[in-house]
Amino acid sequence: MTSCVFIFATISFAWLQPPTSVGAKITPQMKNTIPIPNPLQEKIRAAAPGDTINVAAGVYRGELVIDKPIKLVGQGRPTLDGGGNGDIVTITAPGVELRGFRVSGTGIDLDKENCAIRVKAPHTTIEDNFLEDVLFGIDLKESPDSVIRGNHIGGKALDIARRGDGLRLWRADRTLVEGNEIHDGRDAILWYSSGVIVRNNKSHHCRYGFHLMFSNGVTIEQNDLFDNSVGVYFMYSSKLKLIGNRMLRNRGPSGYGLGLKETDDYLIKGNIFVGNCVGIYIDGSPFATPNSGLLTENTFAANDIGVTFLPSVKGNHLWANSFIDNFEQVSILGRGELTGNEFDREERGNFWSDYPGYDRDGDGVGEANYESRLLFENLTAREPSLRLFMFSPVHQAVDFVARAVPAVRPEPKFTDYYPLIEPPVKHGVDLATAAPRAMAALSASLLSLALGVLAIVFAGPVRDALRDRAHFRARAIGGIA
Amino acid sequence: MFDPNKLDSKSAVKMSKSTSTARPLPASSRESTPTSTPAFVATARALCVPMRAPSFASNVFRLAARELRDAARSKWFLLYTAAFVALGLGVSYVSAASSGGTGLSGFGRTTAGLINLVILVVPLMALSAGAGSIASDRERGMLAYMLAQPITRLELLLGKFTGLATVLLTSICLGFGVCAGILAWKGLRADPVALASLVGLTFLLAMAMLGTGLLISVITRKSSVAMGVAIFAWLTLVFVSDLGLMAGAVALRMRIENLFALSLLNPMQVFKMWALVSADTSLDVLGPAGLYATDTWGGGVVWIFAAALSLWIVLPLSVAAFLFSRRSPI
Repeated sequence: MTSCVFIFATISFAWLQPPTSVGAKITPQMKNTIPIPNPLQEKIRAAAPGDTINVAAGVYRGELVIDKPIKLVGQGRPTLDGGGNGDIVTITAPGVELRGFRVSGTGIDLDKENCAIRVKAPHTTIEDNFLEDVLFGIDLKESPDSVIRGNHIGGKALDIARRGDGLRLWRADRTLVEGNEIHDGRDAILWYSSGVIVRNNKSHHCRYGFHLMFSNGVTIEQNDLFDNSVGVYFMYSSKLKLIGNRMLRNRGPSGYGLGLKETDDYLIKGNIFVGNCVGIYIDGSPFATPNSGLLTENTFAANDIGVTFLPSVKGNHLWANSFIDNFEQVSILGRGELTGNEFDREERGNFWSDYPGYDRDGDGVGEANYESRLLFENLTAREPSLRLFMFSPVHQAVDFVARAVPAVRPEPKFTDYYPLIEPPVKHGVDLATAAPRAMAALSASLLSLALGVLAIVFAGPVRDALRDRAHFRARAIGGIA
Repeated sequence: MFDPNKLDSKSAVKMSKSTSTARPLPASSRESTPTSTPAFVATARALCVPMRAPSFASNVFRLAARELRDAARSKWFLLYTAAFVALGLGVSYVSAASSGGTGLSGFGRTTAGLINLVILVVPLMALSAGAGSIASDRERGMLAYMLAQPITRLELLLGKFTGLATVLLTSICLGFGVCAGILAWKGLRADPVALASLVGLTFLLAMAMLGTGLLISVITRKSSVAMGVAIFAWLTLVFVSDLGLMAGAVALRMRIENLFALSLLNPMQVFKMWALVSADTSLDVLGPAGLYATDTWGGGVVWIFAAALSLWIVLPLSVAAFLFSRRSPI
């Protein structure tokens, strides 16, 4: 009975404890949430629409609201400092230009979506700003025809679940996102924004490099997306173009270079997918428009899986792609065949690095079909935990048995009737840097170690022989004496 | 003073006929020198080899040196080394050819090929080297002769282990050295640090299998039986246990943490996973079980691998030492 009371007391004490401590923490923050007037606010109030305000270098603390169509230009990169609370810049008038600032220190409140630059008006230009330690970076809400160019957006070093979006477009049609670098954020996300062009950006160490929701007619080209969880994710969108991007090392439980979810009418062309868990993950795409998935001239190299299809996916055309040394070139999640998808167009298929056939008539197309029917892949598709045995001799043994004993050989997942002999487009990506000098040094040291041991071993008999001679001499001398 | 380097197997066989009932000399007689040493012999000894008390370390070292010399003369070492070098050469050439100008040779083929090659060849080398050593010595009567010398059984066992480990190290260094040379020459993009750590891990695996081989050698009477058991152990560790685990995982719907834990029992799997981690490849290549390991332990998973592999080195060797010190020598 007493122990019950004790436990109850402990629990209630523990229950009471956190609120008081949190309250103690909150008090200084409460003081700070009273907005400090930013010294620049006075200048904006004094300016007329269309004016250009040049801001000298220095630190300007507090929230700033730009409610007039003016240009705010930083000279020598002045700092707009949020001091770790709330938003920093809010733009409410159309046609504002913000350029050349360093913006840092938003709050970390996900409910209030603390944001470095919040835009609520169209025709806004955000250019050449350096954002760091921000929860949300640039947030465009109903601001079509804007330009986001040449900004650096660095998120907070928080757990991924507590981060905000580096860049967010909400109903911001025809916006140009160009030459930005986004890192350590959650997503760069496009909501209901059509006709957006995303070009020459870099995104790394985020969750989704670029994430499209219900956004049609978007072009994403020449971006570098690396070390994210997913490079680009298309969801519920259509008329999309993904051209010439580089997706590198996007890894994790759902590490995709590109994810396609219920997306229609897409052209995936000339992209490089290297070292991702999955190059392209195709889920229910194309969705409404049949045969509208076009994938061509892409290179899939050194991914765990080149392209993953969900079992019911059909209507994709893959031709003139290169599949080079992926641990699994194409996989189906679960069982099934890829009969609804085509792996050739106009009698040109894809290049497969594990294609065993040859080209007799010299037209660049192999004479035998490329069929993917490896037993180990078949097993791992059904039982993914068996991937633990990859790279073991047992992996090869299983595949060898399947080749030798047709009874256990699985049906082909798909067939490429016109496999190419050479990669149609040669993309080069340096996964590891070539270090021939260091490699040569390693080789030399290993070989000299081995040769050193051998020298000592064979020096032994020589030394013994010399010693024997010495014995002999000593004996001879002794004999004479 | 005991100098095993003076012995060779022929004379050992000859001598073993006369000294077949020999036992190790009592400890008191070890340090004693014969009283009737001719003056010139003593002088010669003083000139050539300074007199030292045969300490534990020096006995082990001398036995190891003798083992090394025997191995260098024997066919198996040359054969295995040649095979390993040739296969290493083949793997690096194939990876050079497959990357053909695309510059896309990452972790992919070279490392995967090398890991596979090591798992197949190195344990076979180490197991057969270990299994062949004591059993064949016993069969030839060499063991009785050796134990008649002023050395302990532990010294003999450790000497054999050290010598054979050095032999294996030499062989591994030759194979990887040639491989690294090809990679350097062809200018392939490969990480030298990763390759160096692969060499180290291969040596650890070799030592683990050498210890197991010595254990087999201690508990079997005939060298042919020892060899057979060694081959069987190799087959089990490389193929049978993995196939069994695969079947078990499917049939028993094994949880991934159990699957991962069971795979740690196999030194080949530990070596493979450690090699993947040291090649800067995330374990999530290995599907859900690898992902589980990464999520649970992060970088600390390396310590688990280190513990598992060092257990595989220490445990069979200790058991072998224990049994060897208890069993009759002949």
